[in-house]
Amino acid sequence: MKQFPDLKPNKADALAALAVLLLAAALGARLWTSPPGAAGAVVVSIDGAAVERVALGEWSRTYAANGYTVRVEATAGGVRVAASDCPTQDCVRTGTITRAGQSIVCLPARLVVTLTGAAEYDAVAG
Amino acid sequence: MTARRLATCAVLAALALALSYIEGMLPPPAPLPGFKLGLANIVTLFALCALGGADALAILLTRVLLGAMFASGATALLFSLLGGLAALGTMRVLSRVRALSIYGVSVGGAAAHHVGQVCAAMLVLGSAAPLAYLPVLLALSPLSGALTAFVCALLLRRARGFLPPREG
Repeated sequence: MKQFPDLKPNKADALAALAVLLLAAALGARLWTSPPGAAGAVVVSIDGAAVERVALGEWSRTYAANGYTVRVEATAGGVRVAASDCPTQDCVRTGTITRAGQSIVCLPARLVVTLTGAAEYDAVAG
Repeated sequence: MTARRLATCAVLAALALALSYIEGMLPPPAPLPGFKLGLANIVTLFALCALGGADALAILLTRVLLGAMFASGATALLFSLLGGLAALGTMRVLSRVRALSIYGVSVGGAAAHHVGQVCAAMLVLGSAAPLAYLPVLLALSPLSGALTAFVCALLLRRARGFLPPREG
């Protein structure tokens, strides 16, 4: 009996891989070329709802979310998750984000740290 | 369902469970939330090729449900369920495309696996932020998909003699 599907890679497979790569590039271009506007404020969301908007500056704040404690540290130029007691530590490893529109995700705590532009910050803080 | 088919499915479900458990203990290959090599996808692909879509689905659901009981609750369940179903569904469709070998099918499955997991992350967080990881995850999927296909092709060559006939 002929094994199905074929067990040896062929040209169609290379095309499939290329299609996936092109899709990745297109999506990347779409998502990451958002205007590199100056980041002005940090929005922290827990469970999908924004809990706090703070202007960038030298500060450190701690958030309790879904049983975890996440410490967020900001400077004038960016923000990072400095410490978290979540098991995966992806949020800490993401490092510092500096551009408006970027975010840091902590999945276990269901917490998202997003940078927004300064104008946007003024509008909501008003 | 013959006893041999049932036994084969049970063994494969146990293997998939063991693989996803081992994967959970390994350090993640990239500092991206939710990025896994998808070792359990080897079993899904193998079952799809060797036994057929229905058995592959049964094995997948068994693995996902038991995995949630062993490991970590509802969030993990949603991740492996959406990732696994997306991968299996895509591979089932692609396996009908005669031009593609097991490698093309597997790359499609790996890509769909990541799309499913990013969707799960967006649902859990209630935010579109995880979407930013998708381009990187997609770009890595030809690699993880080819690896899965390579292992699976080895297994299929060896196991040809003693598997029950393919259905569906």
